[in-house]
Amino acid sequence: MPHLNTKEDLEIMGKQLLLDREKINKTLIVCGGTGCTASRSRDVIDALNKALVIQEMDSEVHLRVTGCHGFCEQGPIAVIEPGNIFYCHITPEDASDIVTKTLKNGEIVERLLYTDPVSGEKVRTESEIPFYQAQDRQLLFQNREVNPQSIEDYIAIGGFSALAKAFGTLAPEEIIREIKVSGLRGRGGGGFPTWRKWTECREVPGDEKYVICNADEGDPGAYMDRCVLEGNPFLVLEGMMIGAYAIGASKGYVYVRNEYPLAVKHARNAVQQARRFGLLGENILGSSFSFDVDVARGGGAFVCGESTALMASLEGKVGEPRPKDVHTVVDGLWHKPTTLNNVETWANIPSIILNGANWFASKGTKGSKGTKILALTGRIKNTGLVEVAMGTTIRHIVFDIGGGATNGKAIKAVQTGGPSGGCLPVDKFDLPVDFDVLYEAGSMVGSGGMVVMDESSCMVDVAKYFLTFLQDESCGMCVPCRLGIDRMLEIVTDITEGRGKLEQLDLLEELADTVTQTSLCGLGKTAANPVLSTLRYFRKEYEAHITSSKCSAGVCKALIEYSIDPEKCTGCGICLRACIHGAISGEKKEVHIIDAGLCQRCGICKSECKFEAIQVS
Amino acid sequence: MLHYVTINIDGADIKAPKGSSVLEVAIEYGICIPHLCHVPGLSDIGACRLCIVENVTNGRAVITTSCTLKVQEGMAIRSNTDRIKRLRHNIAELLVAEAPNSRAIQDIAVRCGVKEVRYPFRNSNCVLCGRCVRACAELWHANALGFVGRGKERHVERPLNMREEFCKGCDYCIQLCPMTITPCDGPMKPGEEYLCGKCESQLMITEEVPDSCAWCRLGEGFNCGRYAGLKAVR
Repeated sequence: MPHLNTKEDLEIMGKQLLLDREKINKTLIVCGGTGCTASRSRDVIDALNKALVIQEMDSEVHLRVTGCHGFCEQGPIAVIEPGNIFYCHITPEDASDIVTKTLKNGEIVERLLYTDPVSGEKVRTESEIPFYQAQDRQLLFQNREVNPQSIEDYIAIGGFSALAKAFGTLAPEEIIREIKVSGLRGRGGGGFPTWRKWTECREVPGDEKYVICNADEGDPGAYMDRCVLEGNPFLVLEGMMIGAYAIGASKGYVYVRNEYPLAVKHARNAVQQARRFGLLGENILGSSFSFDVDVARGGGAFVCGESTALMASLEGKVGEPRPKDVHTVVDGLWHKPTTLNNVETWANIPSIILNGANWFASKGTKGSKGTKILALTGRIKNTGLVEVAMGTTIRHIVFDIGGGATNGKAIKAVQTGGPSGGCLPVDKFDLPVDFDVLYEAGSMVGSGGMVVMDESSCMVDVAKYFLTFLQDESCGMCVPCRLGIDRMLEIVTDITEGRGKLEQLDLLEELADTVTQTSLCGLGKTAANPVLSTLRYFRKEYEAHITSSKCSAGVCKALIEYSIDPEKCTGCGICLRACIHGAISGEKKEVHIIDAGLCQRCGICKSECKFEAIQVS
Repeated sequence: MLHYVTINIDGADIKAPKGSSVLEVAIEYGICIPHLCHVPGLSDIGACRLCIVENVTNGRAVITTSCTLKVQEGMAIRSNTDRIKRLRHNIAELLVAEAPNSRAIQDIAVRCGVKEVRYPFRNSNCVLCGRCVRACAELWHANALGFVGRGKERHVERPLNMREEFCKGCDYCIQLCPMTITPCDGPMKPGEEYLCGKCESQLMITEEVPDSCAWCRLGEGFNCGRYAGLKAVR
């Protein structure tokens, strides 16, 4: 077991590993991230391994199982180097073709190539795919270069050299100055300048300080932190080590959601391997700096993503926030100065140290620098993880990267920032992804969730969904959050069920304002954002629900009615057989009729009808 | 020896012992800041949010609860601005809609100027102020009560819902509970709750002399810090 005692040891090892790597002619990179695992990439990997053994190619081809590549829509994904050939939607049955045709004979398997949904053409290489072309992948690109379970892989691509550089040439204050010049802001949601947190924590007297990596990502539809921690845990670890060195901390914690088993496994494995290599422990790389990291599993509460609640949970208490009249950088974990940063923030540190602050600051806008990973989901063609430079417009992300709406429907809004963020309408799509600009517009970058909605989404229902989520996840400690969200949900439910009154909208706004201003923690303070932003941009929809009892998107069950268009109905009887409530009647080859009294508005008939004869009004 | 700092509440310079909270100092000096979950001698958790004040730093007014805010030299506090009054009114309205059958909560609502409730009444048994939980844990170290569940499900419960033997029978939880004091006219029937408004004459006093403690009868009901302190002296 090589124990790295000095920086030179690390350098020599890195060179040796790179040489070993170059000896291998062909590399088959298969995504083993959560998205692809869900589409059976484990079976594909097993089949590929078997096929390699059968073809006796297992010695010359290196099969690398990596973390997420980002294009989860197309999973399972494989990339073959050299050649950069990109295969998607692979099944275990395709394994032998990939091995015999592509790896052995250098032929392309046409049916596995990616088809561009816009032009309809097959794309051969990964770099030619528009989804990837339109991005600026600084962090996510590294995912395909490393096997997340192997520290050697990470060292081979220059891993931990930022740490060595920091130890060798930079004093802790200089590191903080670099971060300050880089303009890095917290990626977890608030967008707080990272250097300020570090400086305050460094300046507080105290011999024991902590750094924490917050991987308790809980926003619906968001999985950036998950993919970074699953795909490249060493990068996060290196960032934490540099941060700890700058702050003067001797102990770190990675707080991972227990719902992310792969992230827990990979983080634990990374810590163990780093310890074995002497990269964690006493006198790291021959310096006087000692540091160790533990991985803690979360208990399943959304509120534990809030810094003080997370610390309470780490201490073994109930995960409830406490008032932040004294900041956690002064009085944090076990009442010691503590710096807590998000996974993505930590992951950005090594490249800033390595490439310089100016390199990082050259990307992005005036107030927001660098790149940001976004989880692009919803009613668009290309869903997945995208990484773009700050300042990229929403339009570019939704239409150029996301490929626009599915089924040719018009896109109506995008929800950014998860339950703490807001909904932005299409006419705001020229806004850049920038902490301050989106905040001004009533939403936020947040952790980076981006849910695209088309005209079949009812904005009142969206607000109701997020309120339901927050009501479940509120810890219930303070009055405005517990009762305020509950009452907001009550009002919104009234509106969706046709009992709403116009004056309730003002009450809703006032209540939202009260919750925002008086709640104890960040969860409550931002809980009203979904309501406030939908009220701001889609007030007409709320009013239509109340005054004319109409849900234009056809979502709110109490306000819609299903009927059959007599001109389109062919009397095939499919809807009649599909209706589980017996609400449809009609003779064969004659127009069918829906009994509004019996209809439960489940929508099965609409999805079954081949002639689009079912109307919603 | 006690060290003192000078803070300013609503324009008055006040000498306050170091380590005390803004709420304690305000009550001591006869400045009325409505509060529910604060009990003198127990730790403060900032749960009811009624005691919110504006803490002015660098010209920016940050809203925070005065019970958890420790005094600092040169602090400027505003306890009775229009913004604070409006927010406090809304919180009190939420509370009284939840528990109209408690005189303590009704009194707080009156004190905060709630004259009409815009939500349907609910008549819960507990507003989760946590007075009982903290008294049990901190005064007697009994830990016979605790919070269980989160969000809507949050409630006060014995350990594991069964271990009664932790209770030392001190009855302090009952004395501190704001729900034990029924409205003057007796308990209201479900579906017939209303704001009793009998103490609105008291509101006149607090309106005439805003932000000063008028020793109103409203405080008696829920053991306002002033009355509780007096009780302790007696």
